[in-house]
Amino acid sequence: MNKRIRNRLLYGTAVVMAAAAVTYACKDFLDQPAQGTVDEQTLATKAGVEGTLIAAYRSLDCSSSSAGSWGCAASNWVWGSVTSDDAYKGSNLGDQQPINDIETYYWSVGIADDYINQKWSQVYDGVARANATLRLLTKVRLEKPGEISNADAARIRGEALFLRAHYHFEAYRMWGKVPYYYETDTDFRKANDLSADSVAKLVIADLDTAITLLPAVQGDKGRANAWTARAYKGRVQVYRGDYAGALVTLRNVQTAGPYALETSFDRVWTGFTTLRNGPETILAFQASVRDGEPSGWNSNWGERLNFPHSGSYFGCCGFHQPAFNLVNFYQVDAAGLPVAMTSSAWNTPVPDSNFAGGMIRPVDPRLDWTVGRDNVPYKDWGLHNRGWIRDASYSGPYSPKKNVHERGCAAPCTSAAENNVGWQASQTNDVNIHIFRYADMLLLLAEAEVEAGVLENARAIVNQIRERAGQVAQGCGFGSGGSVDSALVANYPSCADSTSMTVALVQNPTLDSVSTPWAQYRIGLYPGPWTVQATARQAVRYERRLELAMEGQRFFDLRRWGAADSTITNYLASERVRIPYLALAAPYTARYRYYPIPTVQIELSRVGTTDRLCQNQGWGGTPCP
Amino acid sequence: MKEAEGFMNQKIIRVGAALGIGLLFALTLSTTAVAQETQVSGTVTATSGEPLSGVTVQVRGTGSRTVTDANGKYSLTAPPDGVLLFALIGYKGAARTIAGRTTIDVGLEPAVAVLEPVIVTGYTSQRRADITGAVSSVNVESATQQTSTSVLQRLDGRVPGVQVENSGSPGSRTTVRIRGVSSFQNNDPLLIVDGTPVQDTYLNWLNPNEIGSVQVLKDASAASIYGSRASNGVIIIETKRGRAGQRQLSLDVRTGFATPVRGYDDILILDALDYFQVMKVATENAGLAVKRNIYGDPNNPSVPDYIWPNDGVNQSCTLSRPTCSGLRVDSASYAVTADGTRLIMPGSPGTNWWKAVFGTGQIRDANLAISGGGEDNAYHVSFNYLDQEGTAAFTRFQRGGVRVNTTFHVNKVTIGENIALSRDRSYGGLDDGALGEGNIVGKNIFQQPVVPIYDINGYYASGKAVGLSNLTNPLKIADAGQFNIATNDRIFGNIFGSLDAGRSVVLNSRLGFNLGQGSFHGFTATTPENSEVTAVDGINENYSLFTVWTWSNTLTFTRAMNQHNLNVLLGQAASQGTSRFEAGSCAGLLNTDVDSRYIQDALCDPTTKNVTSSGGKSALLSLFGKADYNYGERYYLNFTLRRDGSSRFGPTNRWGTFPAIGMGWRLSRESFLRNSTLFSNAMLRFGWGITGNEQIPSGRIVSQFGGDRGDTFYDIGGTSTTIRPGFKTTAIGNPNLKWEENRSVNVGVDLEFKEGRGTFSVDVYRRNTNNLLFDPRTPATAGSAAPPIINIGKMTNNGFDFSVGYRGQLGAVTQYSVNFNGSHYKNEIVEIDGVATFFFGPGIIRDQNPIINQVGAPIGSFYGLVANGYYRDSADAAPFFADGARPGRIKFVDQPTVLDTIACPAAPGCVGLYRPDGSITGADRAVIGSPHPDFVAGLDLSVRHGNWDFSATLFGTFGNEIFNTQKYWDVFRYFDTNVRKDRLANSWTPTNQDAKYPKLDASDTWSRQFSSYWVEDGSYVRLRTLQIGYSLPPAMIRWIPVARVYLQAENLFTITGYSGLDPSLPAASVFGAAGDIRDQFRGVDQGTYPSNKTITIGISTTF
Repeated sequence: MNKRIRNRLLYGTAVVMAAAAVTYACKDFLDQPAQGTVDEQTLATKAGVEGTLIAAYRSLDCSSSSAGSWGCAASNWVWGSVTSDDAYKGSNLGDQQPINDIETYYWSVGIADDYINQKWSQVYDGVARANATLRLLTKVRLEKPGEISNADAARIRGEALFLRAHYHFEAYRMWGKVPYYYETDTDFRKANDLSADSVAKLVIADLDTAITLLPAVQGDKGRANAWTARAYKGRVQVYRGDYAGALVTLRNVQTAGPYALETSFDRVWTGFTTLRNGPETILAFQASVRDGEPSGWNSNWGERLNFPHSGSYFGCCGFHQPAFNLVNFYQVDAAGLPVAMTSSAWNTPVPDSNFAGGMIRPVDPRLDWTVGRDNVPYKDWGLHNRGWIRDASYSGPYSPKKNVHERGCAAPCTSAAENNVGWQASQTNDVNIHIFRYADMLLLLAEAEVEAGVLENARAIVNQIRERAGQVAQGCGFGSGGSVDSALVANYPSCADSTSMTVALVQNPTLDSVSTPWAQYRIGLYPGPWTVQATARQAVRYERRLELAMEGQRFFDLRRWGAADSTITNYLASERVRIPYLALAAPYTARYRYYPIPTVQIELSRVGTTDRLCQNQGWGGTPCP
Repeated sequence: MKEAEGFMNQKIIRVGAALGIGLLFALTLSTTAVAQETQVSGTVTATSGEPLSGVTVQVRGTGSRTVTDANGKYSLTAPPDGVLLFALIGYKGAARTIAGRTTIDVGLEPAVAVLEPVIVTGYTSQRRADITGAVSSVNVESATQQTSTSVLQRLDGRVPGVQVENSGSPGSRTTVRIRGVSSFQNNDPLLIVDGTPVQDTYLNWLNPNEIGSVQVLKDASAASIYGSRASNGVIIIETKRGRAGQRQLSLDVRTGFATPVRGYDDILILDALDYFQVMKVATENAGLAVKRNIYGDPNNPSVPDYIWPNDGVNQSCTLSRPTCSGLRVDSASYAVTADGTRLIMPGSPGTNWWKAVFGTGQIRDANLAISGGGEDNAYHVSFNYLDQEGTAAFTRFQRGGVRVNTTFHVNKVTIGENIALSRDRSYGGLDDGALGEGNIVGKNIFQQPVVPIYDINGYYASGKAVGLSNLTNPLKIADAGQFNIATNDRIFGNIFGSLDAGRSVVLNSRLGFNLGQGSFHGFTATTPENSEVTAVDGINENYSLFTVWTWSNTLTFTRAMNQHNLNVLLGQAASQGTSRFEAGSCAGLLNTDVDSRYIQDALCDPTTKNVTSSGGKSALLSLFGKADYNYGERYYLNFTLRRDGSSRFGPTNRWGTFPAIGMGWRLSRESFLRNSTLFSNAMLRFGWGITGNEQIPSGRIVSQFGGDRGDTFYDIGGTSTTIRPGFKTTAIGNPNLKWEENRSVNVGVDLEFKEGRGTFSVDVYRRNTNNLLFDPRTPATAGSAAPPIINIGKMTNNGFDFSVGYRGQLGAVTQYSVNFNGSHYKNEIVEIDGVATFFFGPGIIRDQNPIINQVGAPIGSFYGLVANGYYRDSADAAPFFADGARPGRIKFVDQPTVLDTIACPAAPGCVGLYRPDGSITGADRAVIGSPHPDFVAGLDLSVRHGNWDFSATLFGTFGNEIFNTQKYWDVFRYFDTNVRKDRLANSWTPTNQDAKYPKLDASDTWSRQFSSYWVEDGSYVRLRTLQIGYSLPPAMIRWIPVARVYLQAENLFTITGYSGLDPSLPAASVFGAAGDIRDQFRGVDQGTYPSNKTITIGISTTF
């Protein structure tokens, strides 16, 4: 190689090396941080811990990261209501067919499996968020001792533990044998080798810790306080069948706690801002609208299908329709007590099977706060009519009502509770979803009193609830304007003068403020005393159904009472003549005590060739021992 | 700006059209040159150098002509300002101005394309014969016979081992896969356009007419010089450049018409009463009462005159029916109201919903190029305008572009640039090909036939009454989306300089840039006519901006000494990319007019305004070297070594090393073959190498935290106004992330026989991917954070690809060529690290997951229950009755899944120690199919007879399967959709046990479980292109030396057994936290925009 070539080679190599050196000189050239995100250290502050806790609350209802279907709803309307004798899936045959399978007890069909998985994913995301709060809190306390005061740290820890308990409780009452996750867990394929009752005990253990940590009063209405945790503990104790324990816990809440019943039943489920988080709220999903979220995710997302359909103001989608069986259950006798208490004929088909307004048959006034029926004002939206029902021949003529907001003003104004974005803004609202309310708790206490043989205490509670239920009935309301308004007045001329959504029930428990009433409301108190435990037990359970209907509790109640088999079997037997597709339901058997654990999660729990999660009995797979 | 651009686009087409018309006039005009004539002589050669005899040499505009002799020489007299035309059958014509010269030598290019002798293979060029890696060249000439907007879509069937998938939507995305699928995410090949790397699945900014050559580097020994990102293969595209000599102006204009290859009107019921019979039987079989609201008496149904919305009383009205007395329809009582109570439709005897949306789309394409050069410069400037209407209403793609390629030589320095400016616009917002159920091609095409397109007042109608489906009118969707415009502007290119340092040492420096900006404006209309109403309209718009620059510096050294030939390349490169994306939306428009669709407080509900932005940054540093050595063009050896550092990995794992080695042995130079009369060339090739993949989002080495207003924020104060920010882990990081590595071995043989007329090439390969990057789904107990990306396992692709070709001659004036190529690969997941042996695919379709990735099976395998006929009777269904089995429903196999050492193997159904669990559950799912073909083939035919030429390309894929999720609708009638024509006649009944479809049963959700019933053979053979051209004889047109008119057809016919619209499926647009994961969702038919049957006429001229 001659010198010139060598020189040129050297020269060229030098240029290349120099160019390389220039880029290498920027040592951080390859340090390109992630964009649009923060690291853990940024959140290692009080604000970060508080925000992480906020996210743990958010999992109480579906969120934008969890909602593939409506199995994640805070209200459990699919799991606790549609599967019970309270409600049908509603809508029409073709829509959301996984719920058809769930309603007719074909829980292992693939599409039902995915719906069940929604619920599983939702509650365990809640657990994960609660645990993340606990981990971050520990880290900040360790690294920045002064950052969070001891009081705040205790409160945050208490809230996170409470939420962890709640989410595990949801899993427990769905599936029984479920894995329990702590903030120290790193293996997310834990076996579900605890018995269902052991899971409930772990829930109680977390609640006990939360009780010691939480303050008695919280500034923010949405937060759990010590009383929330105590009340919740009583709930879990009742679910366990530990009535003695529950009696102690819940009597304490009853006597020393901050809760009370709302003054009237219409104030329990409401979109009126001034009435939200009243004395009856123990734990509710705090829905919000018009909060800058472009799709309305923070509204009552899980309930958004459950409005009257396209003939109505709301437009969609006609799900969660009350059952004939439920409507019939609101019939009362001359004393205003449930017909069902004294007559087995309460559910025999009535002459007008549609039970429309104007047919005077004495009913509990709670019927028209729970069920939308034809020719009865629908809160203050005018008369419910058949055009609001998506397919009455499929699932009956009724609409859900509790989750629906009030307009609160004369048409055409828009309710402040209503959203203004997303698909069908009129069916997303900020009505809080009650997860646990005081009447629910009182009735759980009543159960405990009955089991303890203190029947009069139980009667007092039931009467307290009935008295409240007798305060007001559905009134005329504004109507929704135009033709519907005129229909309201045409049907009930006195509504021309009365725009109040509520009408007082005084003395004579009929709707005496309008000349031609849509209903004869009557509700009486149980005259004392109760002496037969079985009768008392039945009265408490009946009251529970009347009070909490359509709130997603019923099926869980039936299962823990062990009453599911006969009730559901009877329900299907009578309801199939009204709702033909219920004739297709699978016979109700012992395996329905728990929902099947989602197959997909069992598969995801696989380590090597072993599934760490076992399946509940009767659902195939490798059954739990 | 938009208006100005549109105006410019229109102007270009007008100019193009004017030029075309001018040409036609020119045909008839001819004047005689009058000048002193001189003697001109010269030699005509082929581009390969050999002299050409029999070339007609003619003085334009005169009868003066001659023919070259056996040595290619000619001589004739001509005016000094005249033009000489050279023509020889089988070669492209040429024209040269005499310009006073007396000697004019001309090289003619073959008309039927043959392989270029020198091709670009990555930082350098190589002679075709010297390549030891698996490199395929694309027949660019043949590829121009297609009208697709992207060159990527024209690679289909032309290159062995390359698979192409796209939809018929104009400007749609393309999925190109080279030799199978080697990664769980991001399997797009690296594109090198004029030396600048880019990853782009659209490539719409690159005008296919400007492409000079396309090489596909398929194995690591060829591709590893691109080390990082090269594991999916490399496609090297060089645009046309000027050549020294006569200035050439070429104009290509074509226009055509496209129609869908198949429509739903071929598949679905068109008659309303026929559909009613399906509905009736399905309802009766479910034990439910048949609805009378639309068709009246089920035993004597009729199409009603009018259909009322659901007001609870009136649903339909046939004037002859007694119930209709007193009802009347007039427009005075009609209004579009928010609650839709007055939306009355005329009953339709049978709406053809397919024809309502799909029809004929026109294509117009004009290209103008000027190229030429002098001794120290070369230039190529081109203009392009393309306007392609979709076959679906209101869809359209437009592109306008300019390209400037120039080179200047100043002493030993060469500088130049390649720059393309382009703008493209898509109308209709349909660009991802797989449209799912939410768009015009998806389930919305399944409207019932009784629903009319328009209601009585001319507004769009839909299924408002009970029993009609709750779908949106597809024409309404298309109409509302017509101003949903996606605009992309691009500046792409590079500037380069090289220094010839003498003695075969050359220094090169190249700065490539890729600057893009995009925007989209979308509109969502209200749908008062729907059963499920959308009452609030809204707009959304977004803007994106990205910049990628790549600076590479190389040094090459070439040395030839006796028989020793050595090439050395040393180089270094740095690349950085940044992107930014901003999106905004607003709902409740004051005025829906397109001119009012802006996000402004006064124009929409200001409280719904929402703005977000996001961005990304990444960088790559590289050092590389390559040495090529051959001895006497007989023995070849080359080494490549590249080191890449990626910002996507942590400091300790940042750098990856990618070596490769290639060897070749030219047998035909050996004594035992040297005198072979059969083989003119025989080469054995071997290559081994490692390539890498780093295509994951930046910043995944650490956990990411954040939140979203709809996910983590919460109104903790309980007032509906106290929403507080919440945080969660949004993505779990993995500090140990490292490069995914792909090791490939390739053995190949190239043969040429009959003096190069026949060619045969075959490559056999094995590609092992290690440390696969992916984020498998974690159990839900881990929370909703994106799972960590981990180096998860191993995958192999084994296969071969080959091509065989022959160029021949029939008689004196007929040449032909035949090229056949075929390929096969077998993909298998070999190992998934960690605790699981599988993970599920990404897509849930209507609550079911059709995909699994599992050890031992190929990526993206179909997953579901195994269907085995139908339950014959109650006894047959009894074991699974409580789970939903019934006679006539699909029978599923209860797989042995439960370990039972006591009962097994004696118990019935045991396999080994496993027995069936007695339930049909998710545990009984198995791998039931694969989207991967067994064999893919392409056949290219070309015949030239005199001035006529004919060519055709056939494409075939065999053995691939399709998961037809459209069965949700057209078989299972989910959401009361329309169904296939033979659904009723071919359904199970007790006497028709072996039917094509299960029993019609409206409540049958059992049969609808994803199973092998959904999997169909996706094989097909398609006539991709057919072209007949006629080259106008030089004497015919005075000004135009070369003009060719042609008629071409694309996708004229398809042979397939697939029951859906089009077996040529685009891959769905599926993204996960690890990036683009469409390979886990291929072969899933979710309703696609079908391919187009396109007939085009065109003219190509050079003057």
